[in-house]
Amino acid sequence: MSLMLKNTINGLDKILFDEIPKGSVILVTGAEGTLKSGLVFSMMTNYIAANDEHGLYVTLEQNVESHLRNMNSLGIKEEGGLHIFDYRDMRLEWMDSELDLIKTTEEVIDSYKEKYDNLTLFALDSLNALYSISEHGNMRNKIYNFFSRLRDEELTSFLIMESAQSRISGQFSQFHQIEHFLADGTIELGMIEGKGGVKRYIQILKMRATKHAMEKHQLTIGDNGINILGPIY
Amino acid sequence: MKTSVENVADLCEFQEDNCKKFVDKIIKANREIFMMSFLLKKQMCGYDLIKDIFSKCDVFLSQGTVYPVLYTLEDEGLLHAEYSKGDMRSKKYSLTLNGREIAEKDVEDFVKALEQVSLLLKR
Repeated sequence: MSLMLKNTINGLDKILFDEIPKGSVILVTGAEGTLKSGLVFSMMTNYIAANDEHGLYVTLEQNVESHLRNMNSLGIKEEGGLHIFDYRDMRLEWMDSELDLIKTTEEVIDSYKEKYDNLTLFALDSLNALYSISEHGNMRNKIYNFFSRLRDEELTSFLIMESAQSRISGQFSQFHQIEHFLADGTIELGMIEGKGGVKRYIQILKMRATKHAMEKHQLTIGDNGINILGPIY
Repeated sequence: MKTSVENVADLCEFQEDNCKKFVDKIIKANREIFMMSFLLKKQMCGYDLIKDIFSKCDVFLSQGTVYPVLYTLEDEGLLHAEYSKGDMRSKKYSLTLNGREIAEKDVEDFVKALEQVSLLLKR
């Protein structure tokens, strides 16, 4: 039975009323510990498990083993059709060379698409790591072309971006405004301290061509994985 | 009579300048077979493979095209990977028994296919 992305997380349909159009590029932002990787990986594994499709999760921050350990600790299981690619070996073996990681990531995507015709989902964890180890020259153009490439390939893409904005000023730094402008959607994850202690939330700030709620909803993690509960006021 | 594997190496080593663009395309489009044919000879890491293919064939396979092939072949059980003793920086790949059988067969078929194409073009 096929599954829509909006039904991959328990309660996600409370905030996402239509299906995300294929080929959308979605930013998933938030401070550390807000479950960005867990949310994206969970959506992808559940989608892949129910549909006869493939996905590619590229991690620059961790190697495959530590990423999977992390996901297992959240109750999220590995799925055969979701391929995880890390840069550990490449970066260690080519330590003395400068790698253009955006171009290399595009080649990695092409290689997996060659192998798996029905590669439909892509995630990059994270854009911050990509920036920190890339040459910054002409980055705006590179990012623009990268986003266009993902759309042209009809890959529904999740780009994870750590952002300190939600805790401090409520404003995105200038460096990161370009991604928000270019992306088709922005999902923000964060934490709110209230009477009952600290709660995690999810909020869809933007999702082109898709009806969605604007409120912050509570995000919890239980034995059955990630759940989205009611609005937080 | 040379073995198929040596024939693939010949394709690399004796290319003339004016056929380089075609050899380049053939190797890039069929890099999985070329990588496996190099791994038939010895265990190698991604870096070694790129360097060896470049030095023997004068074709640069970029990192983004080589490492995904290594990882998918490993996932499919055709390659076995291990870190070198005392050097955690390079993961060496070798063909599994099944991988070796498939590599030998694929290289042989590939060489036959090239010969057939060559005959067709000369007709």
